[in-house]
Amino acid sequence: MAYLKDERPETMMVEGDWQVGAYRWKAPRLLEEFSAGLKEKKIIGSMCMGCGKVITQPRHLCGRCHRRMDERCVLSDWGTITCFVISPKVEKGKYKLFGMDPVDTGTLKLGEILIPVFVRFDGADSNINCLLLNAKPEEVFIGMRVKVVWAKEPKGQMADLEGVEPIREK
Amino acid sequence: MFRNCAIIGCGQTKHTSRRRDVSVAELAQQAVQAALDDAGITMKDVGCVVSGNMQGFGGVAQPEQWLGDWIGCPGKPAIRIATGGTTGGSVGQGACYTVASGMYDVSIGVAWEKHSDSKEAGATTGLMHVGMGNLFHALTYGLSLRNLIATSAVGAAAGVAVYQAMFYMHRSGCKQEHLDMVAAKARRNAAKNQYAHLQWPNCRPEDIAKTETIAWPFRYGHVCPASDGASCIVVAEEKTAKRLCKQPAWFLGLASYSDEENQLQSENFGGVGVIDPSEQMGCRVSAKKAYAMAGITDPQKEIDLAEIYQPFPSQELIFSERLGLFDDGTAWRHMEKGETDINGRLPISVSGGVNATNAIGSSALQRILEAALQIQGKAGEHQVPKKVRKAVAHGWGGVTNYITCTVLGDSPR
Amino acid sequence: MEKRIAIIGYAQSRHQYDVQKTREDLVFDVAKEALANAGILREELGTVVTASTDFLDGRTISNVFLSMAVGAFLKDESKVEEDGAAALQYAMMKLMTGTYDVALVEAHTVGWQFNPHQVAAYTLDPLVDRQIGLLNDIAASAIQANMYMNKYGVSVEDLAAVSVKNLGNAANNEFAARRLPDVSVGEVLKSKLYYDPLRELMISQTADGCAVVIIASEDKVRKLGVECPVWIEGVGCCQEAYLRDRDLVSLSGLKSAAQSAYQMAGITNPFTDLDLAEVTERFAHEELLICEALGLAREGRAKELVNNGVTALGGDLPVNASGGALGADPICATGLVRVVECVRQIRGEAGTHQVPGVKRALAHGQFGLCAQKNTVLILGGE
Repeated sequence: MAYLKDERPETMMVEGDWQVGAYRWKAPRLLEEFSAGLKEKKIIGSMCMGCGKVITQPRHLCGRCHRRMDERCVLSDWGTITCFVISPKVEKGKYKLFGMDPVDTGTLKLGEILIPVFVRFDGADSNINCLLLNAKPEEVFIGMRVKVVWAKEPKGQMADLEGVEPIREK
Repeated sequence: MFRNCAIIGCGQTKHTSRRRDVSVAELAQQAVQAALDDAGITMKDVGCVVSGNMQGFGGVAQPEQWLGDWIGCPGKPAIRIATGGTTGGSVGQGACYTVASGMYDVSIGVAWEKHSDSKEAGATTGLMHVGMGNLFHALTYGLSLRNLIATSAVGAAAGVAVYQAMFYMHRSGCKQEHLDMVAAKARRNAAKNQYAHLQWPNCRPEDIAKTETIAWPFRYGHVCPASDGASCIVVAEEKTAKRLCKQPAWFLGLASYSDEENQLQSENFGGVGVIDPSEQMGCRVSAKKAYAMAGITDPQKEIDLAEIYQPFPSQELIFSERLGLFDDGTAWRHMEKGETDINGRLPISVSGGVNATNAIGSSALQRILEAALQIQGKAGEHQVPKKVRKAVAHGWGGVTNYITCTVLGDSPR
Repeated sequence: MEKRIAIIGYAQSRHQYDVQKTREDLVFDVAKEALANAGILREELGTVVTASTDFLDGRTISNVFLSMAVGAFLKDESKVEEDGAAALQYAMMKLMTGTYDVALVEAHTVGWQFNPHQVAAYTLDPLVDRQIGLLNDIAASAIQANMYMNKYGVSVEDLAAVSVKNLGNAANNEFAARRLPDVSVGEVLKSKLYYDPLRELMISQTADGCAVVIIASEDKVRKLGVECPVWIEGVGCCQEAYLRDRDLVSLSGLKSAAQSAYQMAGITNPFTDLDLAEVTERFAHEELLICEALGLAREGRAKELVNNGVTALGGDLPVNASGGALGADPICATGLVRVVECVRQIRGEAGTHQVPGVKRALAHGQFGLCAQKNTVLILGGE
């Protein structure tokens, strides 16, 4: 890092750290439920019996009604794109995750264009953030109807929902 | 009841990406001393010290316990307020409440951030730890790395702001050129502000358009910097304010309503019932409350100037509408016509705003401070030519669900 | 005080180490209970003030995912870090301006998530003390204890007596985490040594916990027809200088805070004017220092209060009838739990550790190395 290069008469550098990796948090079992649903090719949402909103991925509380959302329902795997973002062509050195370059690890392909989208599945009052697959950037528009692309062999994990693709007329 | 109080002194430090000439304690102290000098008082006259910053960036927990000695805390009531991006705004409002309640006659509100204390650029450790727990949690359930990178790292610099901008552009007709215009205006304005970070005199939208795209519609030229800096305001009750200050900036109304998490996930990777992060219901409601307290019924006519928290140019447009300054979906048209320029009908962020200077902990306080300077006529080269009677200072933060909205005026309530 | 503010509802969780709940559920359950206790709907809230810290929660902006749980959706919200009692003071100031008439104050810490003593080390001066790496909150407090004991001839048995009192009291408090009804001075002195003279049973018990208090301004209290409002008659707070620049042998900041609170409440002789005190004693000797700073005993003489049973459950001025922090220390919530305990006593709802005839009580919260920041509240019944 460049900060070492400038020597100042007024100050010196001392080191320290904040180790967040050492923390442990309690989490609910909601993603377990959600992933188990994905294995059956079902998208599970939690429903508030106060306001009727359906939220996916599920959560315990409805802040609007200040009550628990323990009811569950299954959402359609058809939805509408409410928002999208188009990445520039993937280059090396652009993105880093946990210190590794995704192009090096093969997670992303050099030169590919990613289209992360917000999808509101029919029946839901929330968005799910995922990738738009099998579509050209020029084709995307807000309001486009899409359906889920499931993993070939769903294993009961978040990655079972690979993304969404446009519903094309036969 | 609400005791009238006003800002009688303002102090800020020069903002750069690395203030290597001072420690964070000295940085905060510079702002405090400047504010006390501006108000014409000493630390002895101060009844309460309200302070705040985002401690994760600097790696010191509860820093005011250590650097309190530099900012006048020993022997005084000292309250630490920290609410994420709105920290500065909450500190400013906290300083107001300590005086308006009648408990203290003079308070100071000081907020700071020293991003360069963190090893990573942009202090990502601090930023990531807002949702780090969520991330680890989702990874244990086989969240695809590819999806993770695509959905979060693509907008790494921009986060949900890029989606927020897309929603706004879709419904209002605003184009990418308008974001270039706002960013250029911010840098031009900042060139007239001696404390600002990204100063680019005569910056034009074409200059911004030449910069690389991060993720459409955001360019690198649109993004705010990570600055080291501090700001401080001195708040005094009516009698003291009138005695010490020729033109105090009076607190007329303030509010900070929270919305549901806007940034896609709640704790533990749950969904949120907000489809459109540009809707900003919290801002609507905060503005309503603040204007009601200030007796403002038509903000479009009665507000003379706005300091909007806009790390991304789209947010200047979105929030100016939510603050009731323009009709829904029209902010970009008014900006295009020059109405929000420094000599326009409704100048917005003439200090350059957060888009040009972002020491996160202090940024929202700086908005209140800059609005106060304009009312006092002390903004120097970036003073607007028209008389500022009422101004609104805004901040957003958290996971885009926190808002602070403060209305200041040239005469007491 | 022009506009009187009263506590109209409260709730606390059962404090324990490793509570089997998420942070969100913990806060939600207690907030819901407090609203029910106050007999109001979430819609009637005006403003919410929470207290927690980023480093203890392991999350930057520690309250950001909790706004929904605490009931702050489309409500004015803010966070005062560190102690819940300081958050209560801020909420009180908001109500005094008349901007809102009902406020919810919440404080929580999940101590199980990360060692709070490690976090205390992160609060040290980063340029020298943190680099040397010898200090933490227990070590610093041990230095304070030794200075105090040497100056006034206080013995280690006197410290143990505080533990015996509080841990015994905690046994009668269903919310406390550590309850040892028959612990003896000998057992306290044989418990694990941390930094001489501080032993395990002299150090507060880290817990996961949450406390919520609901306050309202006088007009609202009358409108609601609250049966037993507990008025906040006085409040004071003060921060002392950093660890190395202050006189550790007495808590001058707390003295200053207490004086502000007493003045506001019209208290001239705290010993006779108060019926009960709930203080935050993270270490046994702190309770002695606190009693002296509060004016309940002369410098160096607080040990007599303990040894003569004056501050025992059945004494003239019970201190920490609930067991105090030694009984349960959910860090940020501890100060607010002291407020809750005072309210319970004044309302006669303190169950098996009820002290009869409590009309006026003192609640104290603190934060920082060797009790650097202190908040004092005086509470009184109708």
